Amino acid sequence: MRLRKLSASILLAILVVIPFLGFTTIAKAEGTALTDKDLSSITGPKTDDIAAKGDPGDDLTGTVNDVTISDSKKGLTLSDLVNQAGQNKIAINFVWTLVTGFLVMFMQAGFALVETGLTRAKNANHTMMMNFMVYGLGLFAYWVCGFAIQMGGSAPIANLGGVYPLNHEFSINLFGKPWNLFGTKGFFLHGATYDVGVMVLFLFQMVFMDTAATIVTGGCAERWKYSAFCVSSVGLAALTYPLFGNWAWGGGWLSQLGANFGLGHGYCDFAGSGVVHAVGGISAMAVAMMLGPRIGKFNRNGSPNVIPGHDIVLVLTGCFILAFGWFGFNPGSTLGASGNGCLRIGSIAVNTMLAGCTGSFGALLYMWMRYGKPDASMAGNGLLAGLVAITAPSGFVNTLGAAIIGWIAGILVCLSVEFFDRVPKIDDPVGAISVHGTCGLWGVLSVGLFADGRSNYGGSWNGVPGSVKGLFYGDAGQLVAQLIGVATLVGVIFTLTFLWNWLVDIFVGQRCHPKSELAGLDIPEMGALCYPDFQLKAQDYPTANSGSPAGSPSSAKY
Amino acid sequence: MRLTGLICIVGGWVIAVAGLFLMTSNSGRLLFASGGILVSVFGILGVLNRYYLGRAIWKK
Repeated sequence: MRLRKLSASILLAILVVIPFLGFTTIAKAEGTALTDKDLSSITGPKTDDIAAKGDPGDDLTGTVNDVTISDSKKGLTLSDLVNQAGQNKIAINFVWTLVTGFLVMFMQAGFALVETGLTRAKNANHTMMMNFMVYGLGLFAYWVCGFAIQMGGSAPIANLGGVYPLNHEFSINLFGKPWNLFGTKGFFLHGATYDVGVMVLFLFQMVFMDTAATIVTGGCAERWKYSAFCVSSVGLAALTYPLFGNWAWGGGWLSQLGANFGLGHGYCDFAGSGVVHAVGGISAMAVAMMLGPRIGKFNRNGSPNVIPGHDIVLVLTGCFILAFGWFGFNPGSTLGASGNGCLRIGSIAVNTMLAGCTGSFGALLYMWMRYGKPDASMAGNGLLAGLVAITAPSGFVNTLGAAIIGWIAGILVCLSVEFFDRVPKIDDPVGAISVHGTCGLWGVLSVGLFADGRSNYGGSWNGVPGSVKGLFYGDAGQLVAQLIGVATLVGVIFTLTFLWNWLVDIFVGQRCHPKSELAGLDIPEMGALCYPDFQLKAQDYPTANSGSPAGSPSSAKY
Repeated sequence: MRLTGLICIVGGWVIAVAGLFLMTSNSGRLLFASGGILVSVFGILGVLNRYYLGRAIWKK
């Protein structure tokens, strides 16, 4: 019995003492600081070996030999290692942001195909050339002043190494609250803004602006004078887009609604349902309203006619290119892949594809149930509507929220197309106002409803600690902030766009001559046909109260 | 007519923003913001668009 007690005591002592000894050993090891001397003993593979044998197994490449040494006399030091780690983090983020920016740039091709396919063959050159030149015109205006107005006073962006030269914002004080209005650094990207981080930010923001600019060309296609299009696009790139971009992303007053008025995290728009798509859609509405409908779109009694596009293959190929580019649009908006919660890019990418998918389902089912046929062009527009709607909330919602947002957008785009055709009678050949305007605004609001409070991008958003939460997760203030954003888009951005285009109408003239419109704009405006080898037929429009949605190249009867 | 429409549109935004200063509760601000949006939409579709519809090419 005694022996048994003794052995039990010994066993207990062993169990207690051994882990303690282990702990103290580890603690000693952890307490020992790594010094430059320790690093000097680390040697890499001999370069002669690599030169002679190569490195087929990836064992000799990417070693201590590749760490940049600041002083060859001292050899490798701790500061060299730490600097290399920082450089690698920023390099990962630069490459991520640039490559996703390149994907967004390729979306221009998608827009060009969708818009050209949804318009008539006699205007194909004109439509294609608007989409082509909006890239260059927009880029130039954005380089001159657009970028400075938008991002010239943005807060430091840690993922891109700070971009500290963009540090001055014009601000006024209103009833004791600061209202940041526009940035003032970075005109022509000269001076201190000749900076590696600023260049990455410029490229990424520029392709976003161009996306907004190219939306307008769809809503105004087939009757817009080319010279007027050029001047109008410069106005969007230089002024209206950058202003709203500053208010939402550049540290402007909308982003500060949380800090100044306690409204959630201020206006939140992760990748631009509002900044890019709603600005583009609302601008398209302002110009399309001013231009008036195409000849033949409405009968004398006001009933709408179908004006079919000429190539559904172009349309759906363009939709796929856009869906591909959206993987740059949304996940790229983290502006990095390393640090500050950026690994959420996986979640953002899945949300993006899911909302696009449910968007096309929603539109397809709506059209099938309402008109008896699964309309191809509206299925494509449904895909785009879902993608537009998920753009703002993609970084803040879970997959269920993304699926619901996309589904609603798919149905909403069909209702909106019918509404604009039948009630205000605004002619929108490709459905740009509905896809980007209506669904862009829905995307903005959906942040205020579905944000689940699980995202964490460095512990705060817009200067407010914690994660973004919508109404369904307990923060009604966030929904109010989003509504203020919608009010600003509808009230201020529409007005500025209208005023600019009013001036264009006075000095340049917005609409082309009716004879040119009837003949097709390719020869009168561009001087060459898009399809010179094809014989173009005059369009025979149905005169019944067809009430068909715009942007439908299929000849299905509604 | 066009100026009236523009005043109405901007007025809607002013209403939405005024709610930030006049109200402290979220529900009050929500009402102001929603009301402001409706006023702006009326200005666009009810005033400005009506002006252009009156001159529409299909009515000539």
